[in-house]
Amino acid sequence: MNRNLLFFTVALLLCVAASEKLWPRGLQDANHTSSSGPEKGATAPDFTLKVVDGKGQTMQLSSLQGKAVLVNFWATWCEPCKIEMPWLAELQKKYGPEGLQIIGVAVDDSGEKNISGFARKLGVNYPVLQGTEKVADMYGGVEGLPMSFFIDRSGKVSDKILGLVSESVIEDAIKKSLEQKGDTKTAAGK
Amino acid sequence: MRKTTFLTLVVIMLLRAGTSAQTPGREFVTVDPVDPVTVRMGSSAPMQITLHVQPGYHINSNKPLTEELIPTQIHFTPPEDLVIAKVQYPAGVLTSFPFDPTTKLSVYSGNVTVKAAVLPAPKAGAGTYTVHAEVKYQACDNNACYPPKRVPVAFDVKITSSSSKLPKAKPTRTSPHIHN
Repeated sequence: MNRNLLFFTVALLLCVAASEKLWPRGLQDANHTSSSGPEKGATAPDFTLKVVDGKGQTMQLSSLQGKAVLVNFWATWCEPCKIEMPWLAELQKKYGPEGLQIIGVAVDDSGEKNISGFARKLGVNYPVLQGTEKVADMYGGVEGLPMSFFIDRSGKVSDKILGLVSESVIEDAIKKSLEQKGDTKTAAGK
Repeated sequence: MRKTTFLTLVVIMLLRAGTSAQTPGREFVTVDPVDPVTVRMGSSAPMQITLHVQPGYHINSNKPLTEELIPTQIHFTPPEDLVIAKVQYPAGVLTSFPFDPTTKLSVYSGNVTVKAAVLPAPKAGAGTYTVHAEVKYQACDNNACYPPKRVPVAFDVKITSSSSKLPKAKPTRTSPHIHN
């Protein structure tokens, strides 16, 4: 075999091996998308979950149809979630008047008191729901956190992001979900 | 020339397939099989469990710096004839991550060895016993955290009468953190 060719082959293999080693798995693909959960364009699975600190109140996703909804799965043990949640609070404030509703779904068994205290400390100004395994499964098992599903006004998934990304990436996905015109005659924000 | 190019492509595809087949049920930590332990009645013997944290990931140490974080723990379930004592976790390494460069977390990465002592209970009889244990950890990488996981572990302990000879024990290092 030509020596140059052999050298080239070995160098190429080493580059591939190094890139696999240096590139943490699962998240840092160009689109920060996840392979699990409802696909883009699919109808977001409906759920009803208990509102944390809501005195027994529940919230149904489909009751928000006509709004753009960001369903953000998080947990108190997730450090990157702590960075993202104040951004989400800011974005809720900024885009709420345009029809955005962010929902936090705590995938956490640390108890309602801890979850609400944690969220309050981070300035969360949107409803936090107590997640269940069933709902997590409906959304692909929530393979990692934070995990966000962006749902447009017609109830379809417009984007999904696994892991912490920059605030501007989240904002762009929110804008995209707000662009879609939906049936505003439904029981939005009930 | 063609043959080499083809082989190169095959090897690249295999390498990528091996590393990209990441499913939601993936393991971030593997646990070495635990060596069997032989202990004499009235005495104690060292044992250790070695965890390997996969490259690119970290897990919380046994003493994370905030109470919300889930510590790495090994829960032993020995039979009545045995006691597992002096469980020693290594100290965590204080590390900051790109998601929050201003905060340090106490974490483990790479290889982690947890040590303990095995003691026969006062009324234990000679024989071989199986100890079941469970490693609990919660892994993260530079962008995301993954749900807590539990890995079952089992190892055999042979209790010999106090007069019988024991195989030479491997030397062990001591660790700064001791939890009973």
